[in-house]
Amino acid sequence: MRLRILPKEEIPRMVQALMADYQVVGPKAKGPKFVFEPVADPSEMRLDYNITILSPKVVLQPPGERVATIRLEGKAPQVEPVVEVEPTVIFGAHTCDLHAIRLLDRAFSDEYPDGHYLERRRQTLIISVECLEPCDEHSFCKDMGALTVDEGYDLHLTDIGEAYTVHVGTEAGEAVLERYAAARAATDADVRRLNQVLSAKWPRFTHRLDFDAAELPAMLATAYEHPIWAELGERCLACGSCTNICPTCYCFNVLDSIALTQTEAVRTRRWDSCQLDEFARVAGGENFREARAARQRHRFFRKGKYLYERFGTLGCVGCGRCIRTCLVHINIVEVFNTIHSSA
Amino acid sequence: MAENKSQGARSQEKVKVAFFDFACCEGCQLTVIDSLQTHLDLLEAVEIVNFREASSEQRQDYQIAFVEGSITRQQDEERLRRIREQADILVALGACAHTAGVNALKNLHPLEEVRLYVYGEHADWYDTYAARPIGAVVEVDAVIPGCPIDREEFVEVVKALLVGKKPPIPDYPVCVECKLKGNVCVFHVGKVCMGPVARAGCGAICPTYGDGCEGCRGLIPNPNENAMKEVLDEAGLTLDEIMDRFTMFNAYRELEAEE
Repeated sequence: MRLRILPKEEIPRMVQALMADYQVVGPKAKGPKFVFEPVADPSEMRLDYNITILSPKVVLQPPGERVATIRLEGKAPQVEPVVEVEPTVIFGAHTCDLHAIRLLDRAFSDEYPDGHYLERRRQTLIISVECLEPCDEHSFCKDMGALTVDEGYDLHLTDIGEAYTVHVGTEAGEAVLERYAAARAATDADVRRLNQVLSAKWPRFTHRLDFDAAELPAMLATAYEHPIWAELGERCLACGSCTNICPTCYCFNVLDSIALTQTEAVRTRRWDSCQLDEFARVAGGENFREARAARQRHRFFRKGKYLYERFGTLGCVGCGRCIRTCLVHINIVEVFNTIHSSA
Repeated sequence: MAENKSQGARSQEKVKVAFFDFACCEGCQLTVIDSLQTHLDLLEAVEIVNFREASSEQRQDYQIAFVEGSITRQQDEERLRRIREQADILVALGACAHTAGVNALKNLHPLEEVRLYVYGEHADWYDTYAARPIGAVVEVDAVIPGCPIDREEFVEVVKALLVGKKPPIPDYPVCVECKLKGNVCVFHVGKVCMGPVARAGCGAICPTYGDGCEGCRGLIPNPNENAMKEVLDEAGLTLDEIMDRFTMFNAYRELEAEE
């Protein structure tokens, strides 16, 4: 599809227009950080953000959501599914988070399709933004192949100075652009400017892994007994933050809460973390991943091996959120480099 | 654990509950009274037969007893044992009953010194001893942590007890609830927080409003205390300040661990 040009001053107008028909979720400042939250005023949106605390996954798989109501009157409980969803535009997702959403798409449609996720996904449009500068010293998206995208968005914006170029990824994106934004066709000069911007950006991002990420599954296959897991187990607080802020983690727990009248109950699900002591505790009290070392190993194997084996995609997009959040400085880049150097 | 006679409470008769207190500020009972105002159906589900803070009724035919406060005297033990004998289910209500809370701070000092400080020349009139959680004296069937308790959690515990389920008290740390809320980590704005090792269930209320967690709900099972001490050290706390963080609400536990 043709490349379009959207002048920067058009963005607030576009967001305002979208807000009439959609919930617009975009990057907003929160103290010294950024978060993806519903936008109430286009001026709140900060497309110049570096990285958000939580990824836009919060739209598609909310931290907590009601999934069913259960009526307890009568002979057998009657379960009524609930999908609380409204048409939403994720505005301003970075490409690492877009790669993560593509992984979630696979995870939630594989084997047991997840109606809640898929319905939210169906009603969500994604407008992504090309990153031109590294977030900070912790991102390693370039190593993980997540520094750009060629699919998975409805519209994709690249800052070329006074305007954004707009790549149209889907028919829905095309329709949104037609209806909500005053974009013009790109000229040859715009295309040249875009190519300059893109070729200038790559050298700004450095490789931080000492090896090709494609080696990860094979490297980890021989690292199950590596001494680094015991060392991480000593340091790890088991606070769950690394997985809770991860854009590709999708584990959840399901909880029922009964009303005081005992005539109905609400079933909710919320994010769960393999790093928590109770995650692998089963009936009878047995915990099959009791040691923090085993839990840390599980996390790194998920990112570098297990998801690749299942979906053909590595489970890490190099956003660096887990590195920033970890209070004991467990650093996925250092862990992988250490294992690689000792192989 | 006493046999759960309240199972099958969906029959006509309401479950009878009672509230008792020992050494405490009664703030948790105030939170219960608050919850009665926001959850009117609580009184449809249970009958309160004994609640000194809220009612003049003093019946002894209760099935569930909620006990606030720490045990600090010999005669407290006798009273608590009588409550235990009557109740099918005994619930520790709040930090003082659950972990001995701030009351146990006195255990860090010689008892004579503490009594003299509090009661002055009449110190020998009061035969107090080291503060302890009610679980140190009698078997406790359930706990509602916190200083004070969280009213929503109180209601959830009541619901669980009425249907004979284990109350849903989290075993995971405050960091989990804080991350799910998308909060800015207070460590990243130069403050300190016990969230990585403190038990969740409060909705991370203190960090949500920009303050570090004090650990009022006790520590999670298997906390990595060494790693936590290193985090606090890196945040600039002295060794004494680090120990203060660990003992503010968990002095009883820390002293037990030393023995």
